[in-house]
Amino acid sequence: MSAKKTDLIDRYLNAVKFWLPGKQQKDILAELAEDLQSQVEERESALGHPLEEEELVALLKRRGSPMRVASGYIPEHRLMIPAMLPIYWLVLKIVLLWVLAPLFAIVFIGPVFNSGQPGAALLQFFGQAFRTVFFVIGIVTTVFALMDRYHAQWIDKWDPRKLPRVPPAHQPMQWYNDFAGFAFGFAAAVFWGVTMWQRGSFTFAAGWSVVLSPIWARLYWFILLLTVARALVDLYCFVRRGWTRGQSWSRLVLDVAGMILAFVAFKAGNWVDVTFANKTPAETAQFVSMINNMIRFSLILAVLVPIFDVVKQIRLLFRAKNGQSAQILTVS
Amino acid sequence: MHTNGTNSEQFENLRLELRRGCLAVAVLLQLRTELYGYAIRKALTDQGLAIDENTLYPLLRRLENQGLLVSQWREEDKRNKRFYHLSPVGEEVLASLLAEWRQMNSALERILAAPVDPTAA
Repeated sequence: MSAKKTDLIDRYLNAVKFWLPGKQQKDILAELAEDLQSQVEERESALGHPLEEEELVALLKRRGSPMRVASGYIPEHRLMIPAMLPIYWLVLKIVLLWVLAPLFAIVFIGPVFNSGQPGAALLQFFGQAFRTVFFVIGIVTTVFALMDRYHAQWIDKWDPRKLPRVPPAHQPMQWYNDFAGFAFGFAAAVFWGVTMWQRGSFTFAAGWSVVLSPIWARLYWFILLLTVARALVDLYCFVRRGWTRGQSWSRLVLDVAGMILAFVAFKAGNWVDVTFANKTPAETAQFVSMINNMIRFSLILAVLVPIFDVVKQIRLLFRAKNGQSAQILTVS
Repeated sequence: MHTNGTNSEQFENLRLELRRGCLAVAVLLQLRTELYGYAIRKALTDQGLAIDENTLYPLLRRLENQGLLVSQWREEDKRNKRFYHLSPVGEEVLASLLAEWRQMNSALERILAAPVDPTAA
């Protein structure tokens, strides 16, 4: 074989060597070299002439890239056994959707709206959000990898008698939620209806008063109606179990109506004014600004948070439409 | 014939799964006689079971690490070659694998021969 062709094979073997596990490199390469030599000889015998450079290149290319060849010798590693994947995904979803997403909405979105430079604040938000998400994914994955390494056997320690019972159509937790929703909704409706009725301002004993923006008078009946409707829907769900489609539709409509109301209120831009008997105008302005910022933040939450419930209700409606039941049915 | 891309991919995945176990058995069977890597591949190909070099050599290494094969370097035709053959443990495991394969094969044949009831849910 010519020096040029030997050089090609040497370069190929050297490239494979780079990816091989250290201890076995010599042994594997010797075997690969022998195999390549046998292939070259067989090919030359079939062609009836020594291999041309192009023919040798084709033979090496057919063999595969050095990394691919080496990959076969690298022991397979896995982060976790496939049996752990469902619970891994579940935990990841819970952490990302139900913990981090609301946290971002509360902690980061508010400052973006309040910032004098929303573009820079938004960029900062995305930076923080990505860092946090990747950090959390890394932590969850590491925890599961460690569980797999040291305690994976708990997956196989189970007993059918210890599995949780199939819940009724409505889970008990939902029962309490409906009752609490009705109780708080009713209290909120009474509070709103009584304290805000034809009220333009509140005067307090310490010599300060809060003057409400006209937007609250304009939205008075809408907010009262929405609060009462929410309380009634919760009451109905509490009394009549299994009212799933109607419940989803009602909650969907109420969520959207609530988001619209919050948005209309948000657009007003200035919600209260405060006057003090014993504070300078600068101190008063600072206090007013703080109160309005708190209301702005609450209204942003009132627009954003119901999105989660809207998505949930739409998914429930789709499931109901496709005939899927939350119940596990025993096939007899 | 698999013309659809997805079907073709599914077929390929299933084929690989099916082959993976069979190849190990075939190599163990072939190594009841001592052979070196290139000769194993030739022998299997000649008997209708083509095997890629990048599959064969790592497989040989795994089987040896599991104690089913033993190997030694020896000179033949003025070249150093690594010869493999079945270890005593490998012989036992091969016998069990063949019994398993025969059982599975006969079960598949029975299932294949059984009449299909199109009304059965």
